[in-house]
Amino acid sequence: MAGTGNGHLREDALLQVDELVVEFPARRKQVVHAVSGVSFDLAKGETLGIVGESGCGKTTTGRAVMRLERVTSGSVRLNGADLTALDGEGLRQARRAMQMIFQDPVSSLNPSRRVRDIVREGVDIWGSERPNIDDWVAEVLDSVGLGDEGVLDRRPHEFSGGQCQRINIARALVMEPDVLILDEPVSALDVSVQAQILNLLEGLKTKFGLTMMFISHDLAVVKNISDRVMVMYLGKVCEISNTHDLYANPTHPYSRALLASIPGHTLDLPPAGELISGELPSPLDPPSGCRFRTRCPRATELCGTEEPVLNEVEPDHWVACHHPE
Amino acid sequence: MLIARRAVRLVFVFFVVTFVTFVLLDLTPGDPAETFAGLNATPEVVEQIRIDLGLDGSLFERYVHWLGNAIRLDFGDSVVTRGFSSFDLIRDTLPKTLELMILAELIAIGLAVPLAIASARRPGGLVDNLSSSSAFGLLALPSFVLGIYMSYVFGVKLGWFPTIVDNLPGLNDDPIDNLRQMLLPSVTLALNLVAVYLRLLRSDLIETLQEDYVMLAQARGLSERRVMWRHVLRPSSLNFTTAVGLNVAGLVGGAFIIEILFAINGMGSLVIRSVILEDFNVVAAVVAILTVAYVSLNFIVDLLYAWLDPRIRHGAR
Amino acid sequence: MALVEPGPTGVKTAAEAVAAVDHPPADRSSRQLGVLFWFAAGWILLLVICAVFRDLLPFRDPDALGIRTREVRKFEDPSWNAWFGGDGQGRDQFARVVQGARPALIIGITVTLIGGFIGSAIGVTSGYLRGKVDTATTVVIDIFLAFPGLVLLIAVRASFGNSMLVFIVLFSITSIPGYARIVRGASFALSERDFVDAAEAMGATKRRVLWKELAPNVAIPVLSFAFIGFALVIVAEGGLAFIGLSLDEVTWGKLIAEGTGDIKDHAHVSLIPATVMFLTILAFNLAGDSIRRLYSPREVATQRRLRVEGIADVNPDGSVLHISDLYTTLHTPAGDVHAVDGVSLSVRAGQALGVVGESGSGKTMILRSIVGAFALSDVTRSGTVEVAGVDMLRAPRGQVLRTLGTEIGMVSQNPLTALNPVRRIESQIIEPMMVHRGTSKAQARERALELLRLVGIPAPERRLREYPHQLSGGMRQRVTIAIALANEPKLLLADEPTTALDVTVQDQILRLLSGLQQEREMAMVLVTHDLAVVKGFTDSVAIVYGGQVVEYGPTSEIFANPRHRYTVALMQSMPDLDLPSHSELITIDGSPPSLLRPTPGCRFAARCPAAQDVCHSLTPAASERDDHWFRCHFPAEITPVSVGAPADSEAD
Repeated sequence: MAGTGNGHLREDALLQVDELVVEFPARRKQVVHAVSGVSFDLAKGETLGIVGESGCGKTTTGRAVMRLERVTSGSVRLNGADLTALDGEGLRQARRAMQMIFQDPVSSLNPSRRVRDIVREGVDIWGSERPNIDDWVAEVLDSVGLGDEGVLDRRPHEFSGGQCQRINIARALVMEPDVLILDEPVSALDVSVQAQILNLLEGLKTKFGLTMMFISHDLAVVKNISDRVMVMYLGKVCEISNTHDLYANPTHPYSRALLASIPGHTLDLPPAGELISGELPSPLDPPSGCRFRTRCPRATELCGTEEPVLNEVEPDHWVACHHPE
Repeated sequence: MLIARRAVRLVFVFFVVTFVTFVLLDLTPGDPAETFAGLNATPEVVEQIRIDLGLDGSLFERYVHWLGNAIRLDFGDSVVTRGFSSFDLIRDTLPKTLELMILAELIAIGLAVPLAIASARRPGGLVDNLSSSSAFGLLALPSFVLGIYMSYVFGVKLGWFPTIVDNLPGLNDDPIDNLRQMLLPSVTLALNLVAVYLRLLRSDLIETLQEDYVMLAQARGLSERRVMWRHVLRPSSLNFTTAVGLNVAGLVGGAFIIEILFAINGMGSLVIRSVILEDFNVVAAVVAILTVAYVSLNFIVDLLYAWLDPRIRHGAR
Repeated sequence: MALVEPGPTGVKTAAEAVAAVDHPPADRSSRQLGVLFWFAAGWILLLVICAVFRDLLPFRDPDALGIRTREVRKFEDPSWNAWFGGDGQGRDQFARVVQGARPALIIGITVTLIGGFIGSAIGVTSGYLRGKVDTATTVVIDIFLAFPGLVLLIAVRASFGNSMLVFIVLFSITSIPGYARIVRGASFALSERDFVDAAEAMGATKRRVLWKELAPNVAIPVLSFAFIGFALVIVAEGGLAFIGLSLDEVTWGKLIAEGTGDIKDHAHVSLIPATVMFLTILAFNLAGDSIRRLYSPREVATQRRLRVEGIADVNPDGSVLHISDLYTTLHTPAGDVHAVDGVSLSVRAGQALGVVGESGSGKTMILRSIVGAFALSDVTRSGTVEVAGVDMLRAPRGQVLRTLGTEIGMVSQNPLTALNPVRRIESQIIEPMMVHRGTSKAQARERALELLRLVGIPAPERRLREYPHQLSGGMRQRVTIAIALANEPKLLLADEPTTALDVTVQDQILRLLSGLQQEREMAMVLVTHDLAVVKGFTDSVAIVYGGQVVEYGPTSEIFANPRHRYTVALMQSMPDLDLPSHSELITIDGSPPSLLRPTPGCRFAARCPAAQDVCHSLTPAASERDDHWFRCHFPAEITPVSVGAPADSEAD
């Protein structure tokens, strides 16, 4: 896996991430290889699901695109403009076009501020072309299902987790972003509330013409919301494909192991125990070649010496593996 | 490694503190050379004394000179108490101050730990309410106010202990009389600490008691006592340990006031007297020794910390 | 900095504990200052009035000697003539105490403002920016703390005199580190929260984040500490006065110091100003503490108590776990929480029961009620909980502990918090064996190795010597399972054992648990929020909602033919791998019910699409239909969209 390669990138993408590398300094001059050469893109109006287990670099990828983490190398282009080259004021300006939703809906809201001020924050910073901002804020709140008059003057602790996530979404939407990055937006919520938020996002996608990057560990959730899906492992891309093909025909050994591990699934796969073994290696010292090889039953000598490159196995279905299924 | 970094930082603290003290003492009006020479000395004599005492040269040179001697425990002669070196004076007074502080610390820890455990076992219970409100009251009692209350009640009204420490025998010579005289000052000094330690340890114990692993320990059928002593106390004592270390600097100040209040001829009395009489060699010596004590104690606390929490040892936190 | 008292640094650490930012209170009713605050405020107000209007009020001249005025005698005892008596020179002690309030307030207020403002600014900046700024700040604070403040005070006083201004500057400087430390800690904690990231991602400037996001949240902790800091200034002045280095003005410290020499014969001369000082400090501390309570809810407002009501019934079929009509109520300041509301369940040896519910449904409390571990809360249980023939509610304490130790094994949700972070794996595994079975240490160690191998931990010898943080999440959960199995229990309780784990690890752990359960013929209760988890691993399922079991039956039956409307809705709202992308999910409106004030009738009525009037008034009784029953007036008849194939196809 450990796939590098950017053959799958498209010409007309709205957001293009090319060979993104994010490394953190660690103790004793070591380096955490959080994201190691990840490439993907988003076409306008598309939802890309990024899926993987903890330590795969999916959250770091999202934060790096948002420039909340320092990018070690690689480029992030939005509408053709390279964001990684920006710093300071230029970066601040560029962020306007991208908004992010975080995992913990409650912690994402400042406990001491009112909903009105929280949702208006972007407009207060940037101004808006809309003539009546109050109406706009009310409209956005209404479309996330918080149309009540009384909502504006309340503070976050008066809302449930699901409602807080709606407020977060409203705050992002007020800015009319080109790209919305969602980092595990429903994993802190109960099943019944999770379904509400997923339906809401689906509706908003149509209404606001959203382009979304949806990061999650939950394969079923990702399948429900995404047009395309990217599977990550230890800072690398394993497989990237349109949603249908990935779930119908998972080709990378790790993707297959992930799907086979879902409790109660009905996919035609061998038991997960036959597809994956051992523990996640340390990101301080990732394996050479394919990073999945230490846990892969199909690994050969080649996997240790040569890193697999993303390769198109069927139209719009790319896999980085020397021995794909 | 964390410990090494802390050690470097503490050494840095030592240099800064001693240097700043040196500068401050230098700013103080009055010329030690003149003081030493006496009123009738000629300017030439004063100048010679200045050179003898190492008081010529730039501030930094003098600091380095002083530091070089200080490492050999030579802090220069006392300018006021003729014939005595600064180190002599400190050696005479240090044991009393040390005894006072150690007794106070032992009493404080001895009272605070069991009280905190009893309070945390039943928050909102009788023991907890009593000890929490007493602690709150004690925190509002500066040691000199508390000392006055103590000596009024136990010294004047009840007559159990002397209100003034007089002719203190060595701890080896007459331990009973020594302790009888030192008990009131030590308890006075300790009570404030009890309040601080108790509150800190109690709230950390309560926090730990709500941890999953404590719930699981209870669910494994371990007795309450075993859960408290084996599972709860150690992970709860990190802040408490820090407080003990940090409090040492404050404790020294408190001990000095107690010395004045109970007329103990300790280091506090010495340093205050020396400051007023501009005996700066002695002051600098005391500062140096206090700083070394503070720095080494905090280093011990750091080591203890690493022992208490293996996550710190392995740099995982 | 170490001032002159154990107070400053001492109280500083306590005040830090006091001022550490906590979560905002969940409900507003707790936002009250309380009666003690108003007492304290009254005392402070009285002081301010006396100090400000001293000249207008009919008090004596504080400096007039009794020998001249002939109004107050030397060492006169307190009386109507002189409320606080006279001092050694016949001066009216009351007038002098009032006079002393002035420097106390002037210095206190200015120092608190200056030190508080500068200290907070430094603290919030270093807590937010971190990195080098923060390192520099902490080093400086370290130095201040180590510094013998007394020497600084004395030296400065000697160089610059003892005017009020010198004292204000001096105390301000020495108070800055205290504020900086507290605010730094608070900002540090706050800037870990996502809303700071969210603001930055929104394009907020650093300045805006500092002012709009962080400052409002540290304002109340700072205010709270300001009162305590104010008291510290009074203490510091008193300490200096005591060693003869205070202001020229009349101050409380000076009055106390002057009186101590006469403590034997004329105690009132020092005792009264000492008491006034004590009350003032107490008032400021109380005020600060009351403000702190506004933002940090009282940590534990209830007594820890475990009560049992009712009488036990009989276990009819010798099940390993027999729960009958169990009610568990948590008595909290907000009211009684009916966490378990009439639950009856039983599990036979070799059988596995899944308990499924959303957060707040009371599912975890069912397990807690079995083992009787509720952290710090006041709990009443009634009904029957019988494990291996022992009445867990009413049996003697020793027998309950022995049953817990030998017949029950428990695995909890979060492997990261389930192991004691400061004890080695070895001591945690061998403890239950040594305590309950009297196994020798060497034998227990042998068995610990065996257990670690059994749960699939490689290199067990090395692992025994390690601490929990050296293991991955999955490995830690294996260790908790090993501990649970140590005494070969008959009953295994697993509380969301895989929720915190990654999906590939979840699969491994579930297979391990289920395999061990079947192999050792244990009874198992598997609590989870994820219906899919119970599917392949349990024999029967209980669906929990609002503290009640709303549906119960064999696992295959529940999945094939769910009857309760909630069960149906729960299944439909789960995203399904068998459905194409972008399928609309069927949702449950509203949010789970409050266990605090249960509504009459069916708990699910408020969110149920099929609810009618009767559902809101009459609690549905459990239907009897073989061993599959449910509490619903209008049960679903049709088979809903399947959540996958039946359980038996799972194993291949």
